[in-house]
Amino acid sequence: MLDVRHLNKRFGSLAVTQDVNLSVARGERRLILGPNGAGKTTLFNLLVGELASDSGEIHLDGERVDRLGVDARARLGLARSYQKNNLFDALSVAENLALAVTAARGLSSNPWRDTHRDASVQEDVERVAAQVGLEARLHHTVSDTAYGERRQLEVGMALASGPKLLMMDEPTSGVGPAMIDGFRQLLQSLPTDLTILIVEHDMDFALDLADRITVLNYGEVVFEGTPSEARESALVREIYLGADDA
Amino acid sequence: MFHQTALKSVTLVILLLGLGAYVQTGGYYGRELVIEACILAMLALSVDVVAGYGGMISMCHGALLGAAAYAFAAMTALLGWPPSLSFVIAIVASTLLATAIGAVSSRTQGIFFIMATLAFGQMVYVMIFDAPMLGGDDGMAGVKRLNLDLVGINFKKSAPFAFACIALLALSYGLAALMLRSGFGRTLSGVKANEDRLRALGVRVWWVKARAFGFSGLLAGIAGVMAAQHTQFVSPELLLWTLSGEALVVVILGGLGTLVGPLVGAIALVFVKHEISSVTHYWHLFIGIALILTVLAGGRGLYGQFEYVVTRARRRRAKDHA
Ligand SMILES: Nc1ncnc2c1ncn2[C@@H]1O[C@H](COP(=O)(O)OP(=O)(O)OP(=O)(O)O)[C@@H](O)[C@H]1O
Ligand SMILES: [Mg+2]
Repeated sequence: MLDVRHLNKRFGSLAVTQDVNLSVARGERRLILGPNGAGKTTLFNLLVGELASDSGEIHLDGERVDRLGVDARARLGLARSYQKNNLFDALSVAENLALAVTAARGLSSNPWRDTHRDASVQEDVERVAAQVGLEARLHHTVSDTAYGERRQLEVGMALASGPKLLMMDEPTSGVGPAMIDGFRQLLQSLPTDLTILIVEHDMDFALDLADRITVLNYGEVVFEGTPSEARESALVREIYLGADDA
Repeated sequence: MFHQTALKSVTLVILLLGLGAYVQTGGYYGRELVIEACILAMLALSVDVVAGYGGMISMCHGALLGAAAYAFAAMTALLGWPPSLSFVIAIVASTLLATAIGAVSSRTQGIFFIMATLAFGQMVYVMIFDAPMLGGDDGMAGVKRLNLDLVGINFKKSAPFAFACIALLALSYGLAALMLRSGFGRTLSGVKANEDRLRALGVRVWWVKARAFGFSGLLAGIAGVMAAQHTQFVSPELLLWTLSGEALVVVILGGLGTLVGPLVGAIALVFVKHEISSVTHYWHLFIGIALILTVLAGGRGLYGQFEYVVTRARRRRAKDHA
């Protein structure tokens, strides 16, 4: 469903994405590993269009998307969560999710009716809030919530847009073990036809959930394989554990 | 996000009733002030929709008002078209013009957005100023007012005209409130708060901005048509960028992003200007000082500060009860 071919990106003299090829099947859970600064977030930015690539192609369901804008790619079913919280801080959790739900359903441009109050929108908002464990916090302003809750909402926003390809950038960074457990359950409960790309530092946690693993180092794909192959690989161990300061 | 709170409703009703009472008691001059305040309030309201709720600081709203005024003037005075038809065409024109300006300007950010709108406003000014049949520097006289004889209203008298201005101000507020609490209005608030995130959720941000701008052009157009009918004369002064600036000052004085604030600001400005200018020519100085004080006091504006104090007191009382 996702096909990345010979993708390149440089910041000045720094090559942050180098000839990256990536092929992800529908329903696959792909883990992206790599040390700090390996170019994982940059790869996400390139995929969703927040950064323009220097060369290479991105195909989603057979359609070439790398020349499309961020919003057009989102409408094709690409959604991401951010490594650094990127939310509507002055709005409530419910209002945040409703923005995502109405945008995904084409209800965000109705000038007559408060579509945020549509029963079907409310239903989706509550469902997603329950999925990410925020059902009790719906009416709290985001800026009044705890950091961990914002991380949950960050994932909720991506889920609420009903994506085909869900991309999560270190969704559990900075949260406690209980929340990591909740997150593991969430991932297991998601529909099996949802394709997921996940950047994660917690290796044990990630290896459990992934179908396949891609390791980036200095912007290059240096390994691709199954979790057990990754565990066996001396290269992965050296790069990942050697540079892992998280 | 916008909520039509009880406080907003009560303040709005008091303002409108106050204006209405002044039409009855203020004499001819008082009615002129009410008309002036209503037109400025409609313009400020239209600016608040884009600036306060969409984060788009516009310097072309004076030109939008002026364009509608000129369109109405040209149709009634030059072409002899009926005022009612001209009214509709003029506000449709200002809506479309504003949508186009918004669509192009929304490709820019921050200071460049302001400059883009300023440039568009100046273009409108130059085009109208240079069109020989529109009177150039001299402007255009002979603008007709709506003819409401059929329903027994003599629109040539200042009292019915002043009441019509109040009614249109109320209508403009209602339309703006309706729009802001719709799904579209909520999206617009999202654009103001974090447009990149909305884009990542699949929203065509430029089109949201363009439509909000267009809606705001509709309100500015109503103000323009009433301005043209008021003096029955249009001149290039209506198109000056300083009018856009004055509208922004009114919005900030009254309370940016409060919707009621622009009405408070416009009424305050018109009446204070009247009082002070009978004493001294330096009334601009007083407005300037008021603006600086407003900004230093937290930038909430007259109504904004009032709303802030009331809400805080209410929250504190709720906390004490709990
Ligand atoms: N906008 C930018 N301009 C210049 N350099 C950048 C920019 N964004 C990222 N970089 C650089 O590109 C490299 C890759 O950064 P990226 O954020 O993609 O790494 P990452 O793998 O996500 O790291 P982390 O694990 O710390 O999140 C880093 O060296 C970073 O400093
Ligand atoms: Mg990163």
